Amino acid sequence: MQKDFEFLPHTADIQMRAYGTTKKELFRNALNGMFQSIGPHADGCETKNNRLICPKLPEKQSVDVQAAQLDLLLVDFLSEALYLSDLHNQAYFDVDIHELTDKHIKATLQGVNVTSFDVVEIKAVTYHELEVKQVDGVWQATVVFDI
Amino acid sequence: MADQFVPREALKKINDNLYEIPKTYRDDMRVPARVYMNEAMIDSVLADKSLWQLVNVATLPGIQKYALAMPDIHQGYGFPIGGVAATAIGQGGVISPGGIGYDINCGVRLLVADALASDLRLHMERLATEVFRTIPSGVGKGGKLKFSMEEIDKVLMNGAQYMVECGYGTKEDTQLCEELGNMPGADASMISERAKKRGMDQLGTLGSGNHFLELQVIDKIYDQEAADAFGLRKGFVTVMIHCGSRGLGHQTCTDYVKLMMSKVSGWGYDLPDRELVCAPFESPAGQNYYAAMAAAANFGWANRHVIAHWTREAFHRGLGGSVKLNPVYDISHNIGKVETHMIEGKEMRLLVHRKGATRAFGPGLPEIPQKYRAVGQPVMIPGTMGTASYILAGNTEGMVQAFGSSCHGAGRRMSRSKAKKLVHGKQLREQLESQGIVIRCASSAGLAEEAPLAYKDVDNVVKIVDEAKLARKVVRLKPLAVIKGG
Repeated sequence: MQKDFEFLPHTADIQMRAYGTTKKELFRNALNGMFQSIGPHADGCETKNNRLICPKLPEKQSVDVQAAQLDLLLVDFLSEALYLSDLHNQAYFDVDIHELTDKHIKATLQGVNVTSFDVVEIKAVTYHELEVKQVDGVWQATVVFDI
Repeated sequence: MADQFVPREALKKINDNLYEIPKTYRDDMRVPARVYMNEAMIDSVLADKSLWQLVNVATLPGIQKYALAMPDIHQGYGFPIGGVAATAIGQGGVISPGGIGYDINCGVRLLVADALASDLRLHMERLATEVFRTIPSGVGKGGKLKFSMEEIDKVLMNGAQYMVECGYGTKEDTQLCEELGNMPGADASMISERAKKRGMDQLGTLGSGNHFLELQVIDKIYDQEAADAFGLRKGFVTVMIHCGSRGLGHQTCTDYVKLMMSKVSGWGYDLPDRELVCAPFESPAGQNYYAAMAAAANFGWANRHVIAHWTREAFHRGLGGSVKLNPVYDISHNIGKVETHMIEGKEMRLLVHRKGATRAFGPGLPEIPQKYRAVGQPVMIPGTMGTASYILAGNTEGMVQAFGSSCHGAGRRMSRSKAKKLVHGKQLREQLESQGIVIRCASSAGLAEEAPLAYKDVDNVVKIVDEAKLARKVVRLKPLAVIKGG
């Protein structure tokens, strides 16, 4: 079964590789992976295999992001989600993507109010070693989070 | 992303504590790269990409003398952590947000109590609990203070000095602080609305990860004259606060990295790493970022200032008001400073980037508070949990060698995931407690990631700085209680 995301070894930060059979799936898995990496806890959700599983994602936030190219767009999309997360104390594990081109994404993030985060906080989504590409027809993105 | 490891053969030994990668190692280097390290550390430094990143720093337009790294060097993104790079202002020198870091003005404040550790030992549990309850820490924890947009602007423009006006801390606290807790050139209008929104309820919060508040005892004196000048006596208790500018700083750096990314090809820069993105210091983007950075730095100083104030209140509640906490100093280890240094016999105005590195100015300089000027600037080097922290004093030799800079801490040597596999938070807590250290920590998983074995040996890091004469050891501090968010 196609992996959705995984974390690669990195001395001081988090390096994530996300996968998707489509670009939309790639963005969705990258979003989920980013928030799972900081060990969120929320009412009504349970942690299984190091992931928070929520039966419902009632909190919605709209995002509309533009960038010069696809890989920068992914970083800016995740940065936007991070900003909203810090502002509202929420985590977003799914997204309804209305529009996605290489330079523009319009979407509704779906998540929960968080009671605590276990691990660290992500200070920023960086452009370091950023790569978004297709390997054997599967989309793959590598992103480093500063923590 | 091919081979990004520098081989041992590329290193030229300058002395027991200093190695150089010559300019000839790679075509695009403008200056050599120099790293302060000793034989014991070399393997761990070669094992990650930090030296390659340092070589990348050596390509920055306008960089002077050397791309430098302190002995706590480790892999970052763009700049390595522990990096120092000075670019020439007025000669095409650049300013790079990645050379300062996302946590603008992450730094350390030190206070000293007028009480002996032996007198407070029986109260340590209660004190630690009081402090943990008083100061919000951990991810997603907003603070107790909620500012309006107008008030945030005042914090950004006046830093710790505004907090005194609001009734927090004392004027002396701001006088014994780098930049007097209020950096000139700050412009609140250069900080985005979203950064301000994040900062509005985060003033007075520790954050998480390797941020902490520690109660310590001064356990060894190395330089009596400097210790006397700093007011540090053996056996007395100190409070060390390590944190930064929170979401406001993170957002500000994110905003300007994105902005510069969109302009960088226009300036004709061909950078080996996107996170080295930069702007000519004198361009509007460069000037705007500098003004924003200074404002975010002010937020960081205001933050540590408020936390110190609340710590005093916690001491008051825990001990019945008998113990005073006096300011020693406060330094930043993620910042860009306009400084004048000698380059080949001439005075030059430079933008000195320090990312995971601390200013360590030598004796006699006007930037140092009057009462410390004869001995040099205090430098706080926090250790890792259960290990020592050090206070150093800046040296004149350090001004010549390294633009008056020192390390900032121990430096990581192991990934967080590996640390969590090797160390269990609960066991670590028990181990530290068996050493007599009181722990107040919101998350055991977070504790494991910050285990001492994940870091380089702080004693060795400080030994190198001391032997290289960048700064000299003044006192060693041992932890009594650690308060962490996660």
